[in-house]
Amino acid sequence: MNINGVFIEDTFAEAFPMRATRVIITGINYKWARHAAETMTGFATSVIGCKVEAGIERELGNHETPDGRPGIAVLLFATDRKTLEAQLQARIGQCVLTCPTTAVFAGLEGEGQIALGKNLRYFGDGYQTSKQVDNHRYWRIPVMDGEFLCEETTGYQTAIGGGNLLVFARSLSQVLLACEAAIDAMSMLPNIILPFPGGGVRSGSKVGSKYKTLNASTNHPYCPTLKGLPDNVLDKNVEAVMEIVIDGLNVEDLTLAMRRGIEAICDLGKAQGIEKITGGNYGGKLGPHHFHLREIMGGDKT
Amino acid sequence: MSATTLEYKGSDQYRVDMRWLQRALEQDLSSKEASKSPLQLGSEQVQVGDIFTINGKLSVSELTLQNSASTLDYVGTGLASGRALFVEGDCGHYLGHQLGGGRLVCNGSALHYAGCNMQSGSIEIMSDAGDYVGGSVPGNKRGMAGGRLLIHGNSGDFTGDLMRRGLLMVAGNIGNHCANRMIAGTITSMGSVGENAGNGMRRGTLLCPSKPASLATGFNDCGRHSLGFLTLLMRDIRKPESAFQALHPMRRRVQRYLGDASVDGQGEILIWIG
Repeated sequence: MNINGVFIEDTFAEAFPMRATRVIITGINYKWARHAAETMTGFATSVIGCKVEAGIERELGNHETPDGRPGIAVLLFATDRKTLEAQLQARIGQCVLTCPTTAVFAGLEGEGQIALGKNLRYFGDGYQTSKQVDNHRYWRIPVMDGEFLCEETTGYQTAIGGGNLLVFARSLSQVLLACEAAIDAMSMLPNIILPFPGGGVRSGSKVGSKYKTLNASTNHPYCPTLKGLPDNVLDKNVEAVMEIVIDGLNVEDLTLAMRRGIEAICDLGKAQGIEKITGGNYGGKLGPHHFHLREIMGGDKT
Repeated sequence: MSATTLEYKGSDQYRVDMRWLQRALEQDLSSKEASKSPLQLGSEQVQVGDIFTINGKLSVSELTLQNSASTLDYVGTGLASGRALFVEGDCGHYLGHQLGGGRLVCNGSALHYAGCNMQSGSIEIMSDAGDYVGGSVPGNKRGMAGGRLLIHGNSGDFTGDLMRRGLLMVAGNIGNHCANRMIAGTITSMGSVGENAGNGMRRGTLLCPSKPASLATGFNDCGRHSLGFLTLLMRDIRKPESAFQALHPMRRRVQRYLGDASVDGQGEILIWIG
């Protein structure tokens, strides 16, 4: 399959089940809500090293937040419920509770509930009070700018992590331009995040290493400086490869995000130096979710 | 499904215990069976059918009590979720006692202990209510434990006594000793609040437009604040059609008093400002 001269490889991106939650952070204005959201989603690129993958989903208008203030929706993904809960509490405690004027609310009904303010309330040292409004329990913790308001629990659900695209281009600037276009298009969509810095990944990894202590190492077949070596798969004219990793709440959202991403890249086309798009997989051994690129783009999978 | 009507045709001479209706609904009695239920009237035992006319099936979700009077006690006791009772006229004591999730609307006034020990659901009283609204029957340690109790008129003394949870809204004035021994929950008013508010208050919120005539002695002035939870509460308060809808949905600035310190309490009395 070729779209605007860009070769879409007949392969699939392999993704795996995760547990996800959404929280809504509000503040006196977007500036402070965003400070909290950016801080709590920092160091959350990959579950391998960070335990959790997190990102800002979108900005919320005053009419969309429980307390009628500007807000930010944040999604967090982890491999299991327990880790998700632990990471959520640690990040809310250190990054949102501490951030002036903010409050935090549940953003998902979900399959079950995990603690949000349930344990954080003890920071109140006995001066915390709860208020039940419309079957939701909130905690009010006295802090130096007034009260930190947080909902007791938030919902979590089964989700999908590790959806991906690999983009091959004739130069670094061209692959960056293409990925930025794809990231911009995908960032408009709800229910997904791109957890890596700016949405792009340059250090794609393979499973295993020659060093026994490492369980992942650089994806050397895709490194352009190693072109010509036996394992390297890059053509002569490819000078840079970039990956975009996508986590989503369900298959439909992730599929749509990948489609929008591929469309944005292909709009630039071969004329802008884009050679190929492929997907990262481990032969189907890593996870049950296989996103066939050609099927996503309306072709047949093989 | 059309609503069933219960018409009261008795006199004002005796008080009537309406818990026969609770038993009839719980035991799924037919109208005929319910009419034959025994009922104590003064020193005399009569049948329900002697003083009530039941038109329709009791199994329907909506019931209307017509020609109600202030001699009818325990109207809507234990009314379960999914059921609604509309009362045309006044009610006696213990209106909506132990309400269990149902909807109870009284288009007149109610005497003492309205909504006492209610668990969930909603009670709406179009006129005034007596003392111990949302309170507890003597002997119980906890009063209203959930749901919404809306009074469009005034409420009497000891409103919210021992209240444990839920939302108690009084569009008019509240008498003395409001939030007495309150454990938690929210009481709000659009009018004045009488003497000795918050006495023995442990937790919970009393929210009103002006400072009560007097606060219990164990309250401290915590100053003026903008409290975020009030926006959430306001959404709940403004839901039903009432005088409270005049409040701005984003209103959150209050004068806060914390107490009652005499019982190591952290209840709060909030006065709207700004």
